[in-house]
Amino acid sequence: MATIREKGYSHWDGKLGERRFPWWPITRTGIQLAFRKKRFKFVFAGSFVPAVVFLVGLYISERLEDFKSFLQGSDRLLNINPNYFKTYFTNDSLLFLIVLVLGFAAAGLIADDLKHNSLQLYFSRPLRKKDYLLGKMSVIFFFVLILTAVPGLLLLLFKLIFAGSFKFFLDYPWLPLSILCYSALLTVFFAFYVLFLSSLSKNTRYVTILVFMIYIFSDILFGILEGIFHKPGVALFSIKANLQQAGAFIFGQKLPFAVPAVWSFLILAGICVLSAAVLNRKIRSVEVIK
Amino acid sequence: MSIEVKDLSFRYGKIVALDGVTMKLGEGAVGLLGPNGAGKSTLLRILLGFLVPERGEGKVLGYDIRRDQAMIRQAVGYMPESDCFVAGMDAVTFTSYFGELSGMPRQEAMKRAHEVLFYVGLGEARYRLLDTYSAGMKQRLKLAQALVHDPKILFLDEPTSNLDPNGRTEILELIRDISTNKSIQVLLSSHILADIESLCASVVILNKGRLAAEGRMEDLRAIHYHLYELRIKGDGGPFRRDLESLGCRVDETEDRLIKVYMPEASDRMDIFRAASRTGVQMRYFVKSQTSLEDLFAGVVGVD
Repeated sequence: MATIREKGYSHWDGKLGERRFPWWPITRTGIQLAFRKKRFKFVFAGSFVPAVVFLVGLYISERLEDFKSFLQGSDRLLNINPNYFKTYFTNDSLLFLIVLVLGFAAAGLIADDLKHNSLQLYFSRPLRKKDYLLGKMSVIFFFVLILTAVPGLLLLLFKLIFAGSFKFFLDYPWLPLSILCYSALLTVFFAFYVLFLSSLSKNTRYVTILVFMIYIFSDILFGILEGIFHKPGVALFSIKANLQQAGAFIFGQKLPFAVPAVWSFLILAGICVLSAAVLNRKIRSVEVIK
Repeated sequence: MSIEVKDLSFRYGKIVALDGVTMKLGEGAVGLLGPNGAGKSTLLRILLGFLVPERGEGKVLGYDIRRDQAMIRQAVGYMPESDCFVAGMDAVTFTSYFGELSGMPRQEAMKRAHEVLFYVGLGEARYRLLDTYSAGMKQRLKLAQALVHDPKILFLDEPTSNLDPNGRTEILELIRDISTNKSIQVLLSSHILADIESLCASVVILNKGRLAAEGRMEDLRAIHYHLYELRIKGDGGPFRRDLESLGCRVDETEDRLIKVYMPEASDRMDIFRAASRTGVQMRYFVKSQTSLEDLFAGVVGVD
């Protein structure tokens, strides 16, 4: 190790300012740290596959004559309407990829801070609890929005470009709003869901497993209960089914399960409220000095 | 006065953590001492603005501890006791990150991080992942993050814990340099009395939530008592009781050295008179310089 005081201490002549968004350095650093993980880069790149597939679908839909032999009658799937967008947002693979990306990128957001005692460093700065949590949540916002709102709006844009007219937009002027609303819902839900689990353990691996297990097992539980009771209401036990219900409602499409969508919204909101309560309890600045 | 508190009181439920603490801390390094549960952590929590006192008032660098908590945390550098870092970061990123969170512009924070890391002796290792740092390096890193925004006051919590003798000497030298040459006030909370004794000109001793002693070390040593060290032959029990009846505090070490803390007004000949009365022989007698340990024992009542 180098000897102490290789250089003398000098005072800093700048002025400390009050940040408009004190949480921003936390968000930026959280995103940067996620991309330093090699495996994550592959997962992240792979998570755009559904968007690319749907983009190809858009392109083909505008040139059905060219691809007639290739499609062999399955062109009905390429009927571009709000249901096409709903299908992109609520398909199993996209939702699973979001969980996968967050499992890698966000599971350690709070767990690592708890493990390495860094909360005390954060809260000894002019930072409030809400700044800290908003900074961490914004990391999740970034990853979820980049997989939902960004491709969703781009798909819409490409539809207009491929069609060469604004007719589609004029037919469904509310579609951009639906895309933004559902992206926001997914973002807020996953932010609370992942941060809540991240605050439960100091071990990032456990948190990653929890993020997957709860998502997958809630769906398995739904499958088992449906097999036993044959009632559509058991869909409410599944996180995925609730998200799909909410998606169908927001895009104005037929609900996949015969349960009022409001119940799904209530369950998702309940998970968020529970998560917020746990986070509020677990993240306490007063414990900075032990 | 950089830190000033008046009649500060705080309780956790029914447990009184601080009870009417009033003190003024000036420039230089100040040691914060007290046994476990004395209220040191509560005092630091209140000074950093994490707890609102139940009663009393206080100011840190002129900022009110009830209203200007953010300003206080911006002006204070805090070095925690436990190891803390952000996994996956190198030292430069880590230090500049916390500089930014303190309110520094990003580029300034990065530049300053390099300077501070060189200052604490981590210049060569500044691009290494923190996960690979040794205990001593992590200790220096904590000091670097506390210094990065050029605070007016440093709160150091057990800065030499987990360090080998060389590392400890280097950190102490660094803190001495900061407190004496750089016009940064240091509030040093430590259980290692020798550290405080070697660094601090003044000391605050808390006991059971109350201020047990405060002031310049020399004054505290002088005001309260004289310390004599002696060895005797004979039954020490009656001798000890005799001295205690004279208002002295008597402690005996493992090697049977008797330490007598005698009130300043008393006459040292009283010790010899007590020996004569109780029939013990005085084999060794010396007036000792009171160490901080003695002061602490005398004030707090623990050995």
